Amino acid sequence: MTRRDAEPKARGALEYGTDLEAPGMLWAALVRSPVAHGRIVHLDLSNARKMPGVVAVVGPDDLRALLPKGALEAERPVFPLDEIRYRGEPIAAVAAETLEQARRAAAAVAPEVESLRVDARIEDIFPEWPSEAAARDPRVVGHVHARHGDVDAKFRSAELVHSETYRTSGVHQVAIEPHACLAEIRDGTFCVRSSTQTPFGLREDIASILGIPESRLLIEGTWVGGGFGGKGAAFLEPYALLLAVASGRPVKLSLTYAEEFELGRTTLPSIIRLDTAVHRGRIVGRRVRLLLDTGASLPGRDFAVGYSIGFLLGPYRTETYEIEGFALQTNKPPFGPHRAPFAPQSAFALESHLDGLARRLGIDPIEFRKLHAWREGDRTAYDQPVGPFGLEAGLEAAARTAGRWRAGLPPGHGIGVACGFWSTSVGAGGEARLLLQPDGLVILEGEREIGNGSVVQGLAIVAERVLGLPLDAIRVEYGDTATAPFDSGVFGSRTLGALGQAVEKAARSLANTLATRAGVKVIQLEMKNSQVMVVAGRRRQKLVDLLTPAERAAGGIEALGKHYAPERKIDLSRVLAGTVYPYQDFTAAVHLAEVEVDRETGRVRVVRYAAFHDLGKAVDPPAVIAQVEGGVVMGLGTALSEEMLWTPEARLANPGLLDYRLPRIRDVPPIHVEVIEGFAGAGPFGAKGIGEPPIIPVPAAVANAVADATGTRVFELPLTPERVARALKLL
Amino acid sequence: MSFQLVQPSTPGEAIRLLSRSAAGEIAVLAGGTDLLFDLDQARIAPAQVLSLRKLPWRYLRWEGNSLVVGSTLPLRALELDPHVQSRLPGLWEAIRDVGSPALRSRATLGGNLGRCSPASDLIPILLALDARVRIVGPSGVREHPVDIVLQESRRTSLGPAELIESVILPASAPSTYLWQRVQPVNDISQVGVAAAFVPEGPHWRIALGGLQPRARRLSEAEAMLRSARPTHLEMELAAQEAARRAEFVSDKRATESYRRRLVSVLVRRAIQTTLDRMPKPSAPRKAAR
Amino acid sequence: MSDGPLALTINGKSRQFEKVPDSERLLDTLRWRAGLKGTKEGCRTGGCGACTVLVNGEPTLSCLVLSREVSQEKVTTIEGVATEKVGRLVIKAFTEAGAVQCGYCTPGFVVALAAQLRGGGSPPSVDTLVDGLEGNLCRCTGYCAIQKAVEAAREAVK
Repeated sequence: MTRRDAEPKARGALEYGTDLEAPGMLWAALVRSPVAHGRIVHLDLSNARKMPGVVAVVGPDDLRALLPKGALEAERPVFPLDEIRYRGEPIAAVAAETLEQARRAAAAVAPEVESLRVDARIEDIFPEWPSEAAARDPRVVGHVHARHGDVDAKFRSAELVHSETYRTSGVHQVAIEPHACLAEIRDGTFCVRSSTQTPFGLREDIASILGIPESRLLIEGTWVGGGFGGKGAAFLEPYALLLAVASGRPVKLSLTYAEEFELGRTTLPSIIRLDTAVHRGRIVGRRVRLLLDTGASLPGRDFAVGYSIGFLLGPYRTETYEIEGFALQTNKPPFGPHRAPFAPQSAFALESHLDGLARRLGIDPIEFRKLHAWREGDRTAYDQPVGPFGLEAGLEAAARTAGRWRAGLPPGHGIGVACGFWSTSVGAGGEARLLLQPDGLVILEGEREIGNGSVVQGLAIVAERVLGLPLDAIRVEYGDTATAPFDSGVFGSRTLGALGQAVEKAARSLANTLATRAGVKVIQLEMKNSQVMVVAGRRRQKLVDLLTPAERAAGGIEALGKHYAPERKIDLSRVLAGTVYPYQDFTAAVHLAEVEVDRETGRVRVVRYAAFHDLGKAVDPPAVIAQVEGGVVMGLGTALSEEMLWTPEARLANPGLLDYRLPRIRDVPPIHVEVIEGFAGAGPFGAKGIGEPPIIPVPAAVANAVADATGTRVFELPLTPERVARALKLL
Repeated sequence: MSFQLVQPSTPGEAIRLLSRSAAGEIAVLAGGTDLLFDLDQARIAPAQVLSLRKLPWRYLRWEGNSLVVGSTLPLRALELDPHVQSRLPGLWEAIRDVGSPALRSRATLGGNLGRCSPASDLIPILLALDARVRIVGPSGVREHPVDIVLQESRRTSLGPAELIESVILPASAPSTYLWQRVQPVNDISQVGVAAAFVPEGPHWRIALGGLQPRARRLSEAEAMLRSARPTHLEMELAAQEAARRAEFVSDKRATESYRRRLVSVLVRRAIQTTLDRMPKPSAPRKAAR
Repeated sequence: MSDGPLALTINGKSRQFEKVPDSERLLDTLRWRAGLKGTKEGCRTGGCGACTVLVNGEPTLSCLVLSREVSQEKVTTIEGVATEKVGRLVIKAFTEAGAVQCGYCTPGFVVALAAQLRGGGSPPSVDTLVDGLEGNLCRCTGYCAIQKAVEAAREAVK
């Protein structure tokens, strides 16, 4: 069955954040800092207040009057009170009758700023690898350093040590729909409608930023025109709310693409140093050093580096290791989640490194990975046990395909393999409310469908499988944070796996209740003449006949399913400083790329691509293929053309589609998708999440293919024609 | 941004409107693919915008061995014309990958020339083909080679009340246009190379785009191609000379050294492709016994 | 400031609007005055194609058109295309090929593709049809399912 949302979306009939409108609505614009680092000496908003059409202007001095006490103590103040930390940082906001009037007024504000020294790049802070003492630099906002086993001894006695440095660039989510929200105060309730992946997360975030209790916040998600991690945390909503309070009218705020790029919280550049010690053909030690640009992140928030560094060991058994990572504060917006945050970049470094190492040892790159591949029971750097894991099976499948490709490979072409792994999130957890009515089943959720189909279709399929009811009699409906059951949000590849379990539990509960009433152990449901029928053995009866009078009055029988993150005991001595992540499953990915390289210009063309994914059970196969295809192509962007370019003054030099280059329809090779089933996850029917894994191995697979084709490795992302030309020593 | 839109339907009306305005007070809107960005970014703030949309300049005509293109004809119309592709392959290659199809439905030859961007894909091929520009203004009509009309980014030799009416392109020369970008679609070229062989020379023409202040003919490289069918070595030497002579800058799209490298490759390829497009010489007659 | 009444022909109907600034883009007139929000706002710089409409049957980036420029021309939006036979076939092809994920880019693709398939006669080749979609960006699907939709739509229209 085609997805229910597909046809209305194709007709342009569904409402996204950018479409929001309310009677009496004002349009908002942000006043943004002209410098990347500075102190606000004087912020005069009186000019803006007097301009035509302006109804409200809100700056740092207005907060006290507008909000309940406690707002200024927020960990993330909504406006900088003193220090501007990145160019374009919002320092005030304007609401006016038209968007043009709001923008003009915002542009008329000329803050008096004392400029401070700008740190635009990692190299501005650490021109060389820093010592441990360097961790005391105030611009180091996060630092992790952990060891496992006697690394030094292993390196000393190793037959071979392979050492390389990799560099990755900043990339942006670029959802086609920019951020957008509409805020209004209704009967003392602060209401926000927003294009968001996490309505409940948004409520929590806004509460902590503005000091408004969650009970007075009402969040409703709209249809989302792409999220990719960028529409999780609160972003525009606090400004819109402040203006709604100040003006007494609904306020709409959305961003231009230039603002999306300049303000985006996303993956930032990194420098990665990898050293691997090998003895008798096996990896015996690894040193990882990561310098991660985390933009204007605040101290103590080392989540980015603590989280990222584990990926640099990969899904491989590593006997001894030492890992050290620095989160560096530069004058850019704070590092934020992109699809599989920083995992494609980590995999680029590690998988390129392993590829080079295998070649140096004269071992086949796939065989070399198999030697070390995780199996069920292995433990990660965060001391999490790896459950059923299909990496070896994926490598075997990839080897068969690679063999076929190799046999007919034209001259000038190359094949690359790369692996990735992902831990799908649980978040805090989620709940689903099912209402079985005489004419079908309704699943009530607080999220909207963000595009991957996991909400609108995936959850419905879970219910279908448990209850037997056909998909066209199942419908997902969307509530808000007041009416819908809690869920952490659509992120971390968690929806089908975690929220799906909530649906599964609710569906089983319904089935059990009906079975008991029907006097049997097991029932199934089916439709007849548009009525729900309960099938108990050979007996069929209408659902209505099994409902209580109260249920009949209420319209049907309800069940609430809950799935929350289980508690786990962890050996803290193995855990990287303070970073423990609730996870659901580990899933493996193996990718193959065939490329052709123009040896005169450095242009890389991806000829064909194959992706092997361990996802337990494909509950919604078309959605799986769609996610893999989409993730691979997004990965091709990261691999070949996407990079954010900053000037030494930390100004983004390419805040637009002309110079931030996304893959287009002609850039896409044939993509073969193969699902590895059987290594069950915790999700319904053994499913594991698939939203993020497909992007992870792509840059590495392409880079390894380029190395295979040319004999030359490129150590920097993206592999633009110029970078490849430079590596080929054409310049 | 607020302005008054005027939409004259005759060239005379347009010229009168332009003549009446002070510098900076009026901006000319052809396809809008440049001007609207300038307005959005507040690069300019004219009181009036003069749209050329209603003027009778949306045509293409074959006049003998020349193609005459009205200056406000959308590039897409040129792209889809089957004779353009066969008779002016270099022009077709320059046009077909500008922006995207919908952008090409708006972008115009006149607008491209008026903007005179160093990265323009159309200027190199017009130079190589020795195109001429017909200009109308208060003092009447004048016609000049493209090379003379174009000066530098955003500057041509047009007077404040003059407009480009049409472009005349000789269509007898086999030609080629090759470009290099980071991405093929919706991207600006790092370097563009146009090559044409004009039988009425006989003369090779090589023009290079991506240069500052604007694209130009490479006479030094042209001089190294002495025959109608240069050898591979001659092509290589001409390409190297072109790379040596070209003055590039480094910017966010490419470094100067990469541009130079691209020129040495693309000039050679452009000459070869143009050679392949020439009518084959007839087989030599066997010597009589 | 220059604004005044504006008449547009949208989806076959004549619509009148008051006080429309000369600087207003067709995209904004359609979405905020005509109530036709099926045409989506993306980059506003002609790079993403989400705002694609038809002007006299030709795919046009409505973010780069001044509304007043097209007051004598026929504007067709996704809402109009969706009621036409070719439009319905294109939409069906997209939905059945799994080419609609977040859906934000879809109206732009549908309009751009339908434009090439209208007008009867033998449809252009798949290659030509795909070329016509080069200006439309999708971030979700990787274009694979969209290419299948193009093939299916072409078959259906033949």
